[in-house]
Amino acid sequence: MTEQKRPQINLALCDRCGACVEGCPVDALVMTEHGPEFSSPLTCTYCTDCEGLCPVGAIRAPLNVVWET
Amino acid sequence: MKTDKLVHIPLFSGLSDRTLQAVALRSFERTLPAGQVLFIEGEQAESCYFILEGVVRVYRMNTAGRMQILARLSTGAPVNVVSLLTEARKNRANVESLTDVKAAVLRSADFEWLMAHCPDFSTALLRTFARRIARMTDLAAGLSLNSVRVRLASFLIDLAGSPQTAGGWTQDEIAAEIGTVRDVVGRLLRDFENRDLIRRDRQQIILLDREGLYREAKRSSDEISDANKPALM
Repeated sequence: MTEQKRPQINLALCDRCGACVEGCPVDALVMTEHGPEFSSPLTCTYCTDCEGLCPVGAIRAPLNVVWET
Repeated sequence: MKTDKLVHIPLFSGLSDRTLQAVALRSFERTLPAGQVLFIEGEQAESCYFILEGVVRVYRMNTAGRMQILARLSTGAPVNVVSLLTEARKNRANVESLTDVKAAVLRSADFEWLMAHCPDFSTALLRTFARRIARMTDLAAGLSLNSVRVRLASFLIDLAGSPQTAGGWTQDEIAAEIGTVRDVVGRLLRDFENRDLIRRDRQQIILLDREGLYREAKRSSDEISDANKPALM
């Protein structure tokens, strides 16, 4: 099965505030000793809420724009 | 570094062979992984970069500790040149690589040497800044004449008609490009989605309704058949 794309977390920028973990609407993130991680690859819906919640810009959920073919 | 890599940078493409050789002699190539901080705001400006490959974001942290995206720069763009030209000589913003990046690096002293000894280098820099000023003037005009809705629809049309760049665009970066904030971009994207103008499929924004989007962008319907032309950004 192809792995679903998920938001990218830059742990070097992350300050472990936990806003993304608390705000994820589908509880796809958990806080580990290394920082936030996706607990289950398929749970994340790529809603991009975590990106907006991160105060230090450590999470990126980039979008590509295409015309429907 | 080799001159054949430098000629792909618009700033250097019109330089004389002599100046190009001088730039090549004084610059070196640096490779950075995604997520690396290239410049930190407020630190002494010691060098500028010219992106050979990849994408970076330029940002500041506000007093509340929130990141504010200022720009997203890709292949060919000069980075931190303004910091070297200001009297304070401090980095004016933070810069971070969003993808793996290859860049030509010029140290401050070499940059100044080129400015002093190679008039075509200085002229090329002036032209680059003139283009930036013209673009900012267009943006300012767009801010006063067009609503965010118009600017976003226009941006989506242009982006979909351009070659997809590595790294994609975040809503913060889109907001910085069209002169608004992330929340507004998110709200308008949801509105476009509710009206079947676009569809979200994980990391893709799929544009569905050409006529509807061109109407939102206040663009002529004549452009619809020409939707795949290169973007004007």
